[in-house]
Amino acid sequence: MYQYNEVDQQLVNERVEQYRDQTRRYLAGELSEDDFLALRLMNGLYVQRHAPMLRVAGPYGMYNSTQLRKLAHIARTYDKGYAHFTTRTNIQFNWPKLEEVPDILAELASVQMHAIQTSGNCIRNTTTDQFAGVIEDEIEDPRPYCEIIRQWSSLHPEFAYLPRKFKIAVSASPTDRAATQVHDIGLHIVKNEAGEVGFEVLVGGGLGRTPVIGKQIRPFLAKEDLLSYLEAIVRVYNLNGRRDNKYKARIKILVQSMGIDQFRELVDAEWEQIRDTDLKLPSTEIDRVKTFFTPFEYDQTAKDDTTLEQKLVEDDAFRTWYERNTVNHKVTGYRITYISLKPYLKPAGDVTDQQLDLIADLADKYSFGEIRATHNQNLVLADVKNSELYAVWQILTDANLARPNIGTLTDMTVCPGGDFCALANAKTLGIADQINRKFEDMDYVHDLGDLKLNMSGCINACSHHHVGHIGILGVDKKGEDWYQITLGGDDGSNAALGKVMGKSVASDEVADTLQKVIEVYVENRFENERFIDTFQRIGMAPFKEYVYAPAN
Amino acid sequence: MPLLINREVVADNWSLLNEESFAPEATLSSGDIIVPYALYLEHKARLAEHNGQIALQVNGDDDLTELQENLDQFPMIAIDFPIFRDGRGFSIARILVRAGYKGEIRATGDIGRDRLAYMERCGFTAIQVADDQFKPEMLDAFGEISNFYQSATDNIRAVYHQ
Ligand code: HEM
Ligand code: SF4
Repeated sequence: MYQYNEVDQQLVNERVEQYRDQTRRYLAGELSEDDFLALRLMNGLYVQRHAPMLRVAGPYGMYNSTQLRKLAHIARTYDKGYAHFTTRTNIQFNWPKLEEVPDILAELASVQMHAIQTSGNCIRNTTTDQFAGVIEDEIEDPRPYCEIIRQWSSLHPEFAYLPRKFKIAVSASPTDRAATQVHDIGLHIVKNEAGEVGFEVLVGGGLGRTPVIGKQIRPFLAKEDLLSYLEAIVRVYNLNGRRDNKYKARIKILVQSMGIDQFRELVDAEWEQIRDTDLKLPSTEIDRVKTFFTPFEYDQTAKDDTTLEQKLVEDDAFRTWYERNTVNHKVTGYRITYISLKPYLKPAGDVTDQQLDLIADLADKYSFGEIRATHNQNLVLADVKNSELYAVWQILTDANLARPNIGTLTDMTVCPGGDFCALANAKTLGIADQINRKFEDMDYVHDLGDLKLNMSGCINACSHHHVGHIGILGVDKKGEDWYQITLGGDDGSNAALGKVMGKSVASDEVADTLQKVIEVYVENRFENERFIDTFQRIGMAPFKEYVYAPAN
Repeated sequence: MPLLINREVVADNWSLLNEESFAPEATLSSGDIIVPYALYLEHKARLAEHNGQIALQVNGDDDLTELQENLDQFPMIAIDFPIFRDGRGFSIARILVRAGYKGEIRATGDIGRDRLAYMERCGFTAIQVADDQFKPEMLDAFGEISNFYQSATDNIRAVYHQ
């Protein structure tokens, strides 16, 4: 994992002091509400329904155990004992006191963390595959490039006031686990015909009120051109993106309105001017950053383990968890292990201070001290030995972190909704509970297999409902909460936007409606066919017909 | 209005004109004037008789292609920030410098403390702050962050070349 040098450390330290001074001036009445607003947003501090909310960056989802313990400490000392992992692999505190935020930032800086650019109209945290570096099918580890992008975009003087926020995601596998097609820029690490590794570049994806799948702007970009090309795109966007209407300000609208070809021309013209400047990435720099992500010293004897097989035979509950919550590691004898943050009847993505401490201990003992966050709000221990999986499972189970539901219907991605968010049209957390109650039977849920369910409390789509296999969107109808259901979305390699099934349903009917949708799937599926594949094969009509059939 | 050059408040001899300055009955103020680009195009003839220097004020809505060919005619280009959220000016400044412009590049409009250092990095050589937005301690803002990752229009090189 990347380690700060003096440059990084000095920058975050100075940033803390700068913000401490800004807060002091605000509290002394020297800074107006508006001026302070812009400044606190640059430091991840929103003011929400109940209290300020502080969003801390988890650079491309990577955390170490020291950082998790610090986050636990912050949750305990400055908040109400818990924190929340977001869909962009950051972590949020929901109850910090405004006047204590500078102290929290100082605590974060002491473990190489910060909240810079986690909100505001700037380049946000770059995200990537939670299996980076440990999955067999990747072309190259994407994290060094994420780190290079992080540095280039941090406090970039020209891009702090873009028309709107700007998000970049990087993926290096044929299986896209970073939702790259619904980001402002999606980068795919690919190999060209000459065998060189570079990037396919997508631009103009996004969700929110106008969901759009990104379009290819460049089939192959050499590594050395990464930063100059990104800078060209962002400059063209900064100069041409709409600023008169914040709902039309994302780059997706610009690309849509001028067309990808004209947009590409503008970018290429700009790129020509800056390709051969300081922005050209020296291979020595790529190599330097790569040294932070070299594979761990894996135990060569790990593959000889026989205890796992035995445990799998002996213990059904363990086997269920193993099958659902662990994934093949590229090194034989190791497994990639999920920590489910989707327990029964608890908000998705929430962790307590005690859980954070426990996860830190687990990481130290069993997974080289590192933890990753996923864009579906779960965590991952990437490098667990087969022989130790049983112990890890037991500890996770005791901490309520081993619900064997990864990738299933109850692994829902859910935004805070009306209980916490000032923009919400409807509540989400109670509906998630309703669904959990309805689908409590784990055998049934496992039988349904891979199914992505995403629910947002309003059209801002914080939980990506458009790209859930099943999406639920809260809408307001004359002051009541109603829910619109979409089917057929996907955020993977075959990204697609879900289609509205029909008229929205009342809040007490959501789980029953889902049940009907599932029944249609079960009735029609071929053996081992996933929900999304059945949907694509049979289309919307059978679902619509059955769900809205008049009761008789 | 306080003018900052090299991180210090300096005297300013320029006056900024607006639509009213060009009303038919008005006489153009004498001395060095800054003229919004649209008005400059509209009143070129009248301005030809002006005795004093003429600078242009541009913003993100102006089409600057033609101007880029004639930059040398102007001792100063002022780039306006109509509201603080409008960040186009940062890119415009960088493009002017890249086009070889050697005159003063001045920021005008809604300019808050947090943007001063960014403006300097993007090639602004002068920053004009409205009276009600100016506080002497603003000048501290330039030095609050002392190193950067990326190159821009100042002399700082990208971190991998340092
Ligand atoms: C509770 C307070 C929150 C507020 C007020 C809020 C507000 C917003 C708004 C206004 C947007 C739309 C921006 C745009 O389209 O340009 C947005 C997008 C987004 N939010 Fe939130 N949000 C909140 C919480 C969260 C949480 C907890 C998460 C993570 C679970 C989250 C994840 C996202 C994501 C991923 C997007 C991007 C969707 C896209 O690609 O357009 N938000 N949020
Ligand atoms: S989707 Fe809407 S309700 Fe949910 S967190 Fe985002 S803004 Fe709030």
